[in-house]
Amino acid sequence: MKATCWMGRNNVEVTTVPDPTILNDRDAIVRITSTAICGSDLHLVDGYVPAMKRGDVMGHEFMGEVVEKGRGVGNLEVGDRVVVPFPIACGSCWSCQHQLFSLCENSNPNARLAEKMFGFATAGIFGYSHLTGGFAGGQAEYARVPFADVGPIKIENGMPDESVLFLSDILPTGYMGAEFCELGGGEVVAVWGAGPVGQFAAASARLLGAERVILIDRFEYRLRIASEHLDVETLNYEEVDSVPEALKELTGGRGPDACIDAVGMEAHYHGPGFAYDRTKQALRQETDRPFALREAIMSCRNGGIVSVIGVYGGLIDKFPMGAVVNRGLTIKSGQCHVQRYMRPLLDRILNGEIDPTFIVTHKIPLSEAERGYDLFKNKKDDCLKVVLKP
Amino acid sequence: MQVRVRDKDPLAQFLGWFSIGLGSAQITAPRLLCTAIGADADGRAPTLMRFMGLREITQGTGILVRTRPTTWLWSRVAGDVLDLSLLALVAVKNRRARTAFAIANVLAVTAPDVYESRFLSRKKGPVRSGMLIRKAVTIQRPGTEVEQAWLGASELRRKVDESGASVRFAAAPGDRGTELIVEFEYDPPAGDLGAAVEKVTGKDLATQLSDDLRRFKQQIETGEVLRSEGTPDGHLLADHLKQRAAQPLEEAVR
Repeated sequence: MKATCWMGRNNVEVTTVPDPTILNDRDAIVRITSTAICGSDLHLVDGYVPAMKRGDVMGHEFMGEVVEKGRGVGNLEVGDRVVVPFPIACGSCWSCQHQLFSLCENSNPNARLAEKMFGFATAGIFGYSHLTGGFAGGQAEYARVPFADVGPIKIENGMPDESVLFLSDILPTGYMGAEFCELGGGEVVAVWGAGPVGQFAAASARLLGAERVILIDRFEYRLRIASEHLDVETLNYEEVDSVPEALKELTGGRGPDACIDAVGMEAHYHGPGFAYDRTKQALRQETDRPFALREAIMSCRNGGIVSVIGVYGGLIDKFPMGAVVNRGLTIKSGQCHVQRYMRPLLDRILNGEIDPTFIVTHKIPLSEAERGYDLFKNKKDDCLKVVLKP
Repeated sequence: MQVRVRDKDPLAQFLGWFSIGLGSAQITAPRLLCTAIGADADGRAPTLMRFMGLREITQGTGILVRTRPTTWLWSRVAGDVLDLSLLALVAVKNRRARTAFAIANVLAVTAPDVYESRFLSRKKGPVRSGMLIRKAVTIQRPGTEVEQAWLGASELRRKVDESGASVRFAAAPGDRGTELIVEFEYDPPAGDLGAAVEKVTGKDLATQLSDDLRRFKQQIETGEVLRSEGTPDGHLLADHLKQRAAQPLEEAVR
């Protein structure tokens, strides 16, 4: 089959690899009908996530049709149309039973590597380095889905792929980021990053009761897409001297009640500080450039919540812990527990409360995945989200 | 988990390995090191460098093998004094900035040498060797079920019995299932040096046990040991370093 493989830093290739086979009783093989490139795939391509191997099949956002299943999978039939969540979860460990699916205790065969990096291991993830298990990803024609009786959600009506595909990662991720903000109605929420996850976080914050949502980015086309489709305000950070200052004045001197970092480890910004972080990162003195996170912390109102759904991989520098402690901030974070949100979010899509299709700017064949990565990474042709069709 | 019941601490261990590292460099590349410290790279200096390397390796081995290496640590302090005297001779002869840098480096390691030697000298009572090692895992199942499964895991049980380890089961707090706790005394031949050799060759029981317990938990909780394309045999530390690319396996398995 054809698959998108990581071939080294800044090198993605669509090549032919063997077809997947059932390796465990609770596996299923899915023929992929749609798959997407995620912002976190760019962290892999840019070489900031350790433990990648040349030839790794990429991709963790995918859906398709079950074509084969192991004897331990009782709830799916061959021919079922499913969306697959990106964390692999067994459903029976303590973490899974407490809905902490991205922390499944049994789905990472490289748990020891992850423990060295993070203290404790996290769940396995499709196509996302050997730290998260070394599983082949879904930017391919077929994928093997472990614990297929737990994760995949059946799509039983004729919803088009683009309406439900993002249940696999970015819609639940954005939603969880908004849920972290403990919105009760009337809050002001600021969101850093108007990429797909930031857009969904902003939409979810409105849905959950925020009175105002301010979405921050530097690309006008992204902010334009947001103001066309979502009821949010936008702020181009390259047009203000200081984002925390601007937010302070935009919120009556208080600061936003909650700040969502939907940017993560490869933040851009203008100013001398960028050179500092970029140099430290290049010299491997820190793995992540936490500029958006620092701003989110410095901007948040006293006693507010900082919700971190942008991906960080390792160590950061100049972290304003003094602000967190002395101003009583709460930081919440995590890789999304996708399985927890798929059903309720599918219902919201069916009810028409959320229509995730507005973020799709490019639909191209899987064979052109390399071009897709180039478009998405370099923000060419006003690219916001690339969907690949095998 | 290692419950430390011995005298040696991480600083002594570090200094031991440091000696071995420096000594190996001195023996294998004496000319390079002579140049680095500003001495002449011909004549008798490289031979002297080799002797100093031999001295470092002897000291490092002594520190790592002995349980309370007080004398060996003091011998490092004496070695530092010797190194400083030799460097002083070099400095008088050649007056190079590199020699001053080398002196600064020796002084930087003399400080922890003296500190650790004094620290060990103040220790009283019998010398304690060995470590109590504990490996524990929590399994989301009632105690009876876990004990039943343990009885079924004959290979793992034999390994544990042969090493004289004790096995306990305890109810995890907050209704979190059952803790399985394995404890044993670990006192490898030749101290830290032996422990390092066992670890590298994969004979180290603590590492093996943490793999085994993880697989045991998986088998009970999910009915299988999950395999990935990168790690097709499931969790085993020994395999972590020889990962395949995460793409489907060529051969059909099972």
